[in-house]
Amino acid sequence: MKKIVGLITFMLFAANNLFAAEAGMPQLDPTYWASQVFWLAIIFSSIYFLIAKIFIPKIKNNIDARESQIRKDIDEANLLKEEADRKLKKYNQLIDEAKINAKKIISEGRKKLNEDLQSKKDQIEKEIQKENELATKDIEKFKISSSNKVNLISEEIVSNIIKEIFGEDLNKSSIKATISEVIKVHKN
Amino acid sequence: MATNPMHQFNVYKIGPEIKINGVDLSFTNSSLFMLLSAVFIFLFLLFGTRQKKIIPGKIQLISEMLYDFITKMINDTAGKKAKPYFPFIFSLFIFVLFCNMIGMLPYSFTVTSHIIVTLAFAMFIFIGVTILGFVIHGFKYLKIFVPSGVPIVLLPIIMIIEIISYLSRPVSLSVRLFANMMAGHTMLKVFGGFVISLGLIAGWLPLTFSVALTGLEILVAFLQAYVFAILTCIYLNDALNLHH
Repeated sequence: MKKIVGLITFMLFAANNLFAAEAGMPQLDPTYWASQVFWLAIIFSSIYFLIAKIFIPKIKNNIDARESQIRKDIDEANLLKEEADRKLKKYNQLIDEAKINAKKIISEGRKKLNEDLQSKKDQIEKEIQKENELATKDIEKFKISSSNKVNLISEEIVSNIIKEIFGEDLNKSSIKATISEVIKVHKN
Repeated sequence: MATNPMHQFNVYKIGPEIKINGVDLSFTNSSLFMLLSAVFIFLFLLFGTRQKKIIPGKIQLISEMLYDFITKMINDTAGKKAKPYFPFIFSLFIFVLFCNMIGMLPYSFTVTSHIIVTLAFAMFIFIGVTILGFVIHGFKYLKIFVPSGVPIVLLPIIMIIEIISYLSRPVSLSVRLFANMMAGHTMLKVFGGFVISLGLIAGWLPLTFSVALTGLEILVAFLQAYVFAILTCIYLNDALNLHH
């Protein structure tokens, strides 16, 4: 740090000497003052007129043109966006309608199917009932016939047993009545 | 002589001597560099406006940024009434900027490092603004020296201060630019001279300074052009909208 300070002092000292070598500033020498002002006036005014009449309008036009172009583009983009929105709405509407239709179709189908199923079921049930009834009738018939047969067999057996034990026939109608009574008791 | 840091500010004539009514109006190196700046400005703006692209090229973008920059500067300081003076502020800024920047090239001449040039600008602005003030506001323009809300006892002193500050405007405006440019270039030259005189052993130190100073001087060149333009806007604002 000290070295730098020393060097700077030395430099400033040397600079002073240099200044002293040619005293004064050339800026304060009035020889060419008039010339400088004269040429400045000419050159600056020409540059001013060039800028004011040609370049600034050009730049301004260009910037304005860009702005209007951008505005136009934005307007167009907005228009397109609105159209897209409209289309989207339409599309959504279509989708909604389609969904509603599909639901309707599905529910109709289901209803029809249910009805069909129901009617088939009813038919089948009816048939089953009929079969059932027939079967029950058959069973009933069979029951009656079988019980009659059982009675007959029982009567024969009983009469045979009595004949074997007692050696004589018993009145057939009394045996019949007794057996039917016994069966009745057992049934209950 | 080349090591003299003030040597770079010498004005000498180029070509024949032009004398009108005994006044020397010869074409000098100063005039040459003014002309060079003007030519560079012309070329820059020509290339900047040649193509009208929606997406601008580099030069077009710079010219448009400059336009926006100065538009914003005027709007912020002087308001909408200053619109007719936009070309003047634009020319002033770009001319001072180009003179400063071309002055940064080695062996070139800095037009704005001469007090007479900056004073000519400042006096033109000062006189123009004063005339403008009187044309717009008539004698009411003198109100600029009477700030509102000042106690009557203090008014004479304030008025004297205001008048002095108003009259010193051209001096401060011109000296600010001239002194900044001259000091910067003198320093660059001094440090440049030290690089040679201190040689290989210690020459690197002033060389470092020189590089840093060049960066600083480029900043100063831009800043002083900006300050010059914005102060012009502020003076213009005083004349256009009498605020006090």
